[in-house]
Amino acid sequence: MKKTVDVSIPLGPVHPCWKEPVRIKCETAGERVLRTEVELGYMKKGIERIMRGRPWQEVMFLAERVCGICSVIHNMVFIEAMEEISEIAVPPRAAYLRVIVNELDRMASHILANFSYCYTIEHETLAMYLLNTRETVLDNLERLTGSRINTAYMIPGGVRFDLLPEDAAAMLADLSKVEDEMRRYTGMFETGPLIALRSKGIGVMDREEAIRAHTVGPTARASGVVCDLRLRHPTYRELGFTQVTRTEGDNFARIMVRFQEVFQSIDLIRKCIETLPDGPIRGGGLCRAGETSYAGEAPRGELTYSIKTDEYGRVVDIAIRTPSIMNIEACAHSMIRDVTSIADVTSTFISSDPCIACNER
Amino acid sequence: MSILQEIKNAVRSRSIHVAYVDVGSCNGCDIEVLACLAPRYDIEQYGIYVHNNPREADVLLVIGSVTPQWVDKLRDIWEKIPEPKAAVAIGNCPISGCVYARRGTLTTPPVENYIPIAAQVPGCPPRPTEILSAILSVAPLIYKDYEEKHR
Amino acid sequence: MTGYLYEKDLRQMKYNILTSTKHDEAVRAIARRLGMSNAKLRMVMIRRFDMSLLENLESRWQMGQQHADDDSDPVAKDLGCELFTRFVPLVDPRVMQTICNETRAMTGNESSRDEAIARGKARIREAILS
Repeated sequence: MKKTVDVSIPLGPVHPCWKEPVRIKCETAGERVLRTEVELGYMKKGIERIMRGRPWQEVMFLAERVCGICSVIHNMVFIEAMEEISEIAVPPRAAYLRVIVNELDRMASHILANFSYCYTIEHETLAMYLLNTRETVLDNLERLTGSRINTAYMIPGGVRFDLLPEDAAAMLADLSKVEDEMRRYTGMFETGPLIALRSKGIGVMDREEAIRAHTVGPTARASGVVCDLRLRHPTYRELGFTQVTRTEGDNFARIMVRFQEVFQSIDLIRKCIETLPDGPIRGGGLCRAGETSYAGEAPRGELTYSIKTDEYGRVVDIAIRTPSIMNIEACAHSMIRDVTSIADVTSTFISSDPCIACNER
Repeated sequence: MSILQEIKNAVRSRSIHVAYVDVGSCNGCDIEVLACLAPRYDIEQYGIYVHNNPREADVLLVIGSVTPQWVDKLRDIWEKIPEPKAAVAIGNCPISGCVYARRGTLTTPPVENYIPIAAQVPGCPPRPTEILSAILSVAPLIYKDYEEKHR
Repeated sequence: MTGYLYEKDLRQMKYNILTSTKHDEAVRAIARRLGMSNAKLRMVMIRRFDMSLLENLESRWQMGQQHADDDSDPVAKDLGCELFTRFVPLVDPRVMQTICNETRAMTGNESSRDEAIARGKARIREAILS
């Protein structure tokens, strides 16, 4: 890109605040950031190229490994896209179990994002509290699916494991513990004066800019954009889901949206367990030829899979649009621009919950 | 063995500084390394500190199969770490490339081609406890009597 | 110490991004709209955009078609004034503004509207390639 000033401060690729390698070059005048250039390619694995020509049984596991943090939703969107192509019906119990696993994954992801933010603004106590709470959430994920990160829980026509009554009781007990803890931490975050100094009014993105870059998920909802694909998902509609929005559009709003969504996820899981229908968890079906574009709400926003299959269920062509593509771009080019201090660049970047592995695939 | 060496051994066994570098994985191993920081696993009781700064690290955790950008840079980072040092490969990716070592990929595993690896923790991803025990068991092998061995 | 640390030629990686299915479609659509060849547009994009913007090209193009340039100004809509400055930032906003103003003035004159728009588009192409 064309240079406008001489001073260019590179951040990364190995940086104490960033969990994944990315390089941001900030052109600055004094401490004020004039423009930024993002240099990617550190995580480009070419996963779409690997997926082409493989049967769905393999692509299902590859889809999970697009991103480790939100692996459940990648699995879910891919499987639901395959179900849409082949017109496979899901038993109601399986649909509810999918929601439970998806919401547990969302909680873990949101808590991790808030942990990273607190760690970046050097509030290490709150960060460690949050990380410990995340372990409890992952325990529940492991109890239901048998794995902490890459669960491979969903398959076309159902799910792999059933939720036993004693597990459900243990999960409910854990959830109320998590809720108590999260209420305390949210209060700490909301009322902390030093946190407010580092977060409020920094990295502001207005609604217009959010729409222009097509931001999605909590990053967009913090700027007042109405976009939550869970509103359109049939199972979520049955559960009576409403979305969280804020209008400030700064770092504080983005983190608070995530905190509020954690409580919402807890409520959804409770409602699911209460009204869990009886019946089988796995139906049958055959994956057929077809072409579709299916979107679901990942923890970071809208995730779209455009798939084309042949009659043996092999994936002929696939394009994945992950939420981080839009969010990182909006963050780098509109939030970080005009940040008044280099110290705020890292925290602003982390507040948009960037996932480089998603971004580059 | 000199007294100085004994003191060094004692100090080094309780002070292991860790840096991690992700050279192209799915993030899963990354967050399992992060989960080690949680009070539940409490790595600081073993004297492990995660800094993510290669210049003050003793152990480098390498995660992921090697992507085009890292082909030359991984060696740079390895050379910045002061002696004595060790690299631990976390997960299947640095060992074999895991699911990414297929036709059409952009990665070039294994990591052993670029830097010497002292220990490997297989798993996709490995559990935090496994990562922890790998660091704890590889550190004494490298650092014990380092000056006497390399005089 | 000479040479920069960690700097690398990014062209091949940028090209990899641009040639994945959806991005390729977006590039072709933009080239059609501008009346340029695909290869030239790709070259300009690789030179001018950073990697994050290239990854986001497809969604920006999609949003641009939905939201950019409302019907109040037909000249700006035909030229894609907002589309090529704010959604897909190929042209500098000030340059675009002059092109747009002059084209609007030309349509007011005796010359036909189509000719003026065509000339405006040619000037946009020039601005992109410069």
